[in-house]
Amino acid sequence: MKQITKILTLSAVALTLGACSTGLDRSRSLGNPQVTGHTLAQQVCSICHGDVGSNVNGNSVNPTFPILAGQQAVYLEAEMQEFHEHTRKDKAAQDMMWGISRDFTPEQIKELAEYFSHQKPLPNPAAADADPAMVAAGGKIFNEGNLEKAVPPCAACHGANAEGNGPIPRLAGQHADYLYKKLMAFNDDAQREEEHEKNPSMHEDLERPHGVAMEGIAHGLSDAQKHDVALYLQSLK
Amino acid sequence: MKLTSLLERARGSILVLLGVVSLAVSFDASAIPVFARQTGFKCVACHVGGEYPQLTSLGRMFKLTGYTMGNANDIFNLTTNIDRPPVAVMLQAARQYYTNTNPAAGNGNAPSSSMDMQVVSLFTGGHITDNLGAFVQWTWNKYDGNITSGSQYTQSSGIDNTEFRWADRIVTADSDLIYGVYANNRSTMSDVWNSTENWTSDWIGYFNAGGAPAPTTFLMGSSAQHGEVGVGAYVFKDKNWYGELGVYKSVTHGPLSFMTGGATGSTGVPELDPSPYYRFAYNKEWGPHSFQAGIHGMTSYVHGDPGLGYSDWSGTISTYRDVGLDAQYQYVLDPHYFSAHFRYTHEDMNNSSAMIGTSATNPTDTLNETWADVTYIYKAKYGAMLFYHGATGSTDALMNPASPTGSPNWQSWMPSVFWAPVQNVRIGYMYTFYTQLGGVTGNTLNMGGTALSPHDFNTSMLYATLIY
Repeated sequence: MKQITKILTLSAVALTLGACSTGLDRSRSLGNPQVTGHTLAQQVCSICHGDVGSNVNGNSVNPTFPILAGQQAVYLEAEMQEFHEHTRKDKAAQDMMWGISRDFTPEQIKELAEYFSHQKPLPNPAAADADPAMVAAGGKIFNEGNLEKAVPPCAACHGANAEGNGPIPRLAGQHADYLYKKLMAFNDDAQREEEHEKNPSMHEDLERPHGVAMEGIAHGLSDAQKHDVALYLQSLK
Repeated sequence: MKLTSLLERARGSILVLLGVVSLAVSFDASAIPVFARQTGFKCVACHVGGEYPQLTSLGRMFKLTGYTMGNANDIFNLTTNIDRPPVAVMLQAARQYYTNTNPAAGNGNAPSSSMDMQVVSLFTGGHITDNLGAFVQWTWNKYDGNITSGSQYTQSSGIDNTEFRWADRIVTADSDLIYGVYANNRSTMSDVWNSTENWTSDWIGYFNAGGAPAPTTFLMGSSAQHGEVGVGAYVFKDKNWYGELGVYKSVTHGPLSFMTGGATGSTGVPELDPSPYYRFAYNKEWGPHSFQAGIHGMTSYVHGDPGLGYSDWSGTISTYRDVGLDAQYQYVLDPHYFSAHFRYTHEDMNNSSAMIGTSATNPTDTLNETWADVTYIYKAKYGAMLFYHGATGSTDALMNPASPTGSPNWQSWMPSVFWAPVQNVRIGYMYTFYTQLGGVTGNTLNMGGTALSPHDFNTSMLYATLIY
């Protein structure tokens, strides 16, 4: 009898709490296609890709997570699709975004891309701490390229103010640490491609197979130059 | 084959450690415990450098929003993902080294010669509904309580850290409010900054040299572990302001007694009358940094006599009023992970009349407990930690019988290194050394008639954990 009372009481508590649902518009479920992209942006994405105090705006605080505010919708959609399909394989993608996007529907991806592309990018507070000489050196590479290594100016594709265009991402104001790590990933992919050419039987396993256009560019910049460009881009508003 | 006999076979063999490693590296790296299966995250997303239990900002938010984020089984809609079972297991093999093996002198509780499987924990929980989630742990300890003579030891098994949370988060363009309620089985179980006892950074089944006379405050001590049930409510505003109020009480029978395993005073667990618990904190995150500082406290009304094992449920009540400060700093940006914690807790003890003359000399006593730690982890693989733990307080000869002066004062340091070859495995070595016990540094501690020095309680441990 005691056991029955126990089970009944616990069931009643569980059902009551279960019934106290705040509904789909405040859900954190990543597996429910009925949850909208807007709700996911608020309840889930904002944890890492949000500011504090005004945290749905896509301006992330920790450089582990890219700033999504004002990003090109076409680019965001393509990247989320790559996370979903596990074709984008850089470390942060595997650590977090593969899981986040595991069950996203095309509709949710589209809504999320639209949502973040319409947020206002804020100036990056870390820009104030950057060495002006390094920022200037990065600016030179951004605008003029590195002709010695046949690296074209970044501005040619990413826009005069690194605002991006469709599938080409906006880079202005992005965290320098994030940009540097991505350039290193493209650089590593370039080396993998080289090794693959020498030994075609070896599996390539590129981190960014859809970023082939960036491989030669990243490979043509020294680590210091990559750092300079990243600092310059971070300083753009 | 029975699990116990399997464990017995493995005992005393370094093969356990090698087995853990080889087993783990053969796993699919993305197949990991309950919350990771639910979210699809790697450990490093929610834990600093991938090393539990220290939580990152994302880990804190996951817990504060009720363990609900992700895609998991929904028991009410009867949907399940059989490839993401909501269960996990943790195994810990270890070998301890220490010199004090005299049972009468409070020696260790694991044979100092053993290398064997010592802890097995099972976990379940996570998302139950979109607002309700759980963390449930069950643990088997091979060595529970000090060895009485020779190699005799006592095993134990039962419910461990367990919490149910209901939470909601309201986000607008200029405001973020999380609020929720919880029921759990230990004060400080609700902690998200790893700056109070239940989730301090050394959280690993650790069998040190048993009876070192190193008193802790009632709140931070392990004496009330999982023998009480608390309900509380909390808010977290704009990732800045945190407030929490709870009340804990012993539950020996009835529906909630599954959270305490029906523990009573006669099983050596303190019997609490309703005792309030609170926590207030400020949290700030900028760039890769985060900082938290706050106050914590609990006033515990405890039946019976800790000196007599709390067996007197109907006896008079002692009061332990704990108030403290705690803080955390973190730097989280791969490949560097750093964290530091500090806490200081002041306790005013009001000893029950039954204790006076038996286990306490004074009607009132004080104790000030200090904890500090730093952790550095590189590439989520190689780590080093240093802990300091100690206390000072009022002199009380009956309460601190090992001390020649009745002093509770003690100090200890614990350096530790570890390696995580894959995210499911941690292999480490930790060393605890006591620089002071009972207010003395020399060979004048009276342990059951044997004279010992604080160094006699120094312990080191080689361990390997597998969590899957």
